[in-house]
Amino acid sequence: MKAVLLTGVSFVLTSIVVGNAYYQKKQFYPSVVYITKSNPSMAMLYIQAFVGVILMGKLMRKIFFGQLRAAEMEHLIERSWYAVTETCLAFTVFRDDFSPRFVALFTLLLFLKCFHWLAEDRVDYMERSPVISVKFHIRVLSLLGLLGMLDLYFINDAYYSTLTKGASVQLVFGFEYAVLLTVVWMTLMKYILHSIDLQNENPWENKAVYLLYTELIIGFIKVVLYIVFMAIMIKVHTFPLFAIRPMYLSLRGFKKALHDVIMSRRAIQNMNTLYPDATAEELQAGDNVCIICREDMLATCKKLPCNHIFHTSCLRSWFQRQQTCPTCRMDVLRMTRAEAAAPQQPPQQQQQPQPQQPQVPQMPQNLFQGFPGMPPMWPNMPQQPQAAPGTSGASSTTTSATAMPSSTAGTSTVGATSTQPTPTTTGTTTVPPIVPPMLPFMMPYGSYAMPRPPRNLAGVSAEELRAMEGQERENVEARLQWLQDIQALLDGAMVLINQYNTVATQTGIAGISAASFPLSQNKSDKKEEMKADSSQNSSQHTNTQGPGLQPTDKTDREDQKLDFSGLEGATGFSPAKEETIPAWEDPHEEEHNDEMHEVRKRRLQKFTQENPSGVKTEHKSQD
Amino acid sequence: MILFDLPTNTDVMAGSALKRLLAEYKQLTLNPPEGIIAGPVDEENFFEWEALIMGPEDTCFEGGVFPARLTFPSDYPLSPPKMKFTCDIFHPNIYSDGRVCISILHAPGDDPMGYETSAERWSPVQSVEKILLSVVSMLAEPNDESAANVDAAKTWRDDRKKFLEIAERTVRKSLGI
Ligand SMILES: [Zn+2]
Ligand SMILES: [Zn+2]
Repeated sequence: MKAVLLTGVSFVLTSIVVGNAYYQKKQFYPSVVYITKSNPSMAMLYIQAFVGVILMGKLMRKIFFGQLRAAEMEHLIERSWYAVTETCLAFTVFRDDFSPRFVALFTLLLFLKCFHWLAEDRVDYMERSPVISVKFHIRVLSLLGLLGMLDLYFINDAYYSTLTKGASVQLVFGFEYAVLLTVVWMTLMKYILHSIDLQNENPWENKAVYLLYTELIIGFIKVVLYIVFMAIMIKVHTFPLFAIRPMYLSLRGFKKALHDVIMSRRAIQNMNTLYPDATAEELQAGDNVCIICREDMLATCKKLPCNHIFHTSCLRSWFQRQQTCPTCRMDVLRMTRAEAAAPQQPPQQQQQPQPQQPQVPQMPQNLFQGFPGMPPMWPNMPQQPQAAPGTSGASSTTTSATAMPSSTAGTSTVGATSTQPTPTTTGTTTVPPIVPPMLPFMMPYGSYAMPRPPRNLAGVSAEELRAMEGQERENVEARLQWLQDIQALLDGAMVLINQYNTVATQTGIAGISAASFPLSQNKSDKKEEMKADSSQNSSQHTNTQGPGLQPTDKTDREDQKLDFSGLEGATGFSPAKEETIPAWEDPHEEEHNDEMHEVRKRRLQKFTQENPSGVKTEHKSQD
Repeated sequence: MILFDLPTNTDVMAGSALKRLLAEYKQLTLNPPEGIIAGPVDEENFFEWEALIMGPEDTCFEGGVFPARLTFPSDYPLSPPKMKFTCDIFHPNIYSDGRVCISILHAPGDDPMGYETSAERWSPVQSVEKILLSVVSMLAEPNDESAANVDAAKTWRDDRKKFLEIAERTVRKSLGI
């Protein structure tokens, strides 16, 4: 109502101005001169022009959009404010060119920008509404055509103006319209993709991929445009402050598009290589509804290692965000790595009875290759961070898997040499920098890419994972294997330390000393324990450790638990184990914190006696 | 609440997010959970829902009817919707502007409070119904450890009587008394 009144008043005032001029001069040309010479009259005419633009806008909105939705209106107003602010900033750069024509051009630009934004919003809305009419299609197409033509016209105009008259404010217009043209392209592509999607009864699988690539390409063009504009502006005028915000936004958009494309590619690759298609029988069993889209699964579906089945396309878009099973949240990449290690199971099990006898030269390096928690002083360490995440983690586990059998093949004489230098360990006093580098390594990988001695995993995951629920005996076996592996790792670490110490004593450097660590008196106990263990066979382990290894009810997370118990064994052995425990950031592990001073002792007991708290607390930390 | 004839999946051409929302709406309308009504605000836009939640029985919110607004992202159900009460409600897990803060509404990875485990987070397995049921149980049992409204959490913990009083006022207000 107010708007109508204002429009009316403006029309009345304009007619008064024009009428007055004509009344005084009686002729057309003198009247025009009179008006242009009179400031109040010109001001009135400018206001009238502004009102005219607004009316024009309303008319176009009516034609192309009908009623605007609240969200669209909000969006429009918010963006307009930024645009107005930036236009004012641009005025300061081009104050020499300031003229009514200049203002008119900027108003027109702003006006067209609004329509570009509205078109974008409207096309996005296509995805959200179940009722898209023919009128909608006609409106969008004609609007996009009109906007595209206008953009091209103004770009052309700016181009020739710059060629003939040299660099001027036309540069800004040419560039702004070029950016708007990319917006038109993007909107058109989206419109086409949405339209094709609407034609299909089933969701169109590749739509998301096409959208991603379109966004990537348009984002790239935009970034290039902004950089070129920036360079030209700096050369010709000054730093274009008004272009900073849109430039930043387009850079951010491009970065996001790039990230999305990379994640999508990774997801597709993983899905194609790692997970099998679900068979018809598998689809028949179960309720046959994809949990992501809630539609029946008739098209191609993928089965995850946890036996949950989804549409390939649904799963792909989910994996773009994260690599877990949507239903049970299993870390699928990790499970797949475990599966990759599975074929190695039989030979490992045969060698299981004597894992305590490491071969001096190979054992330590190969072993620690699998442990990201190890400090970078070990030769193989630097490669680990790259190997751990992603699918390549499978190869790292495989490496340590193959390393284990060779190490376990060692003879008893080797075992003897490995334990021989024990006196030197207790004799020297320097603290090696093991602990501090450990912590940062453990945190990031602990969550998803923890390499592990794989034979246990092999016993746990894959087909058995399904069967595991309720089969307690297998759980026990798996755990026993873990404990045996821990033993092997401990021995390996021991050998490493001994080696270091021998070298250290030879070269005169201070070696690693157990005595320098807190509670070190337990260490020698431990060492004896180890020796004792190494002379025992695995059946004895079964007897002593069996009672403590009660399977928990959370069997489906078995490999995670085992994983951590294995790691705990490894870190627990290292002389500075007290410090490594808080690295898990475990609020539940109160027992450990409370009785920190007895940790070494208790852990010793855990290995040989019935107390399973080492395993259990680690499990808790995972829940 | 608009309850119109539901378009069936076969005669509606729609993107996957929209199809899932249609399916969920159908499900909610056919088998409404007790104490919850929900549906799109506008039948032309299925990404804005309105929900009415009855205060759970035997709690301080019993008898109240609380309106809320659900806003779905275009990549639903891969990302969670946002939920906001459109009435005044004094509760430890509801921001003073009405936004609901429960772990099921947080995507894994963003953790405003820094303690939620990923098991409770959003995943496509969740649904509008599950969200609303979680909200009902949140109304029944506030979690003052992860307070969105610190004031409310403090009152709940230290001055239960006052909290109950405010809740009663909220209930009466929600009924327009
Ligand atoms: Zn699906
Ligand atoms: Zn699963």
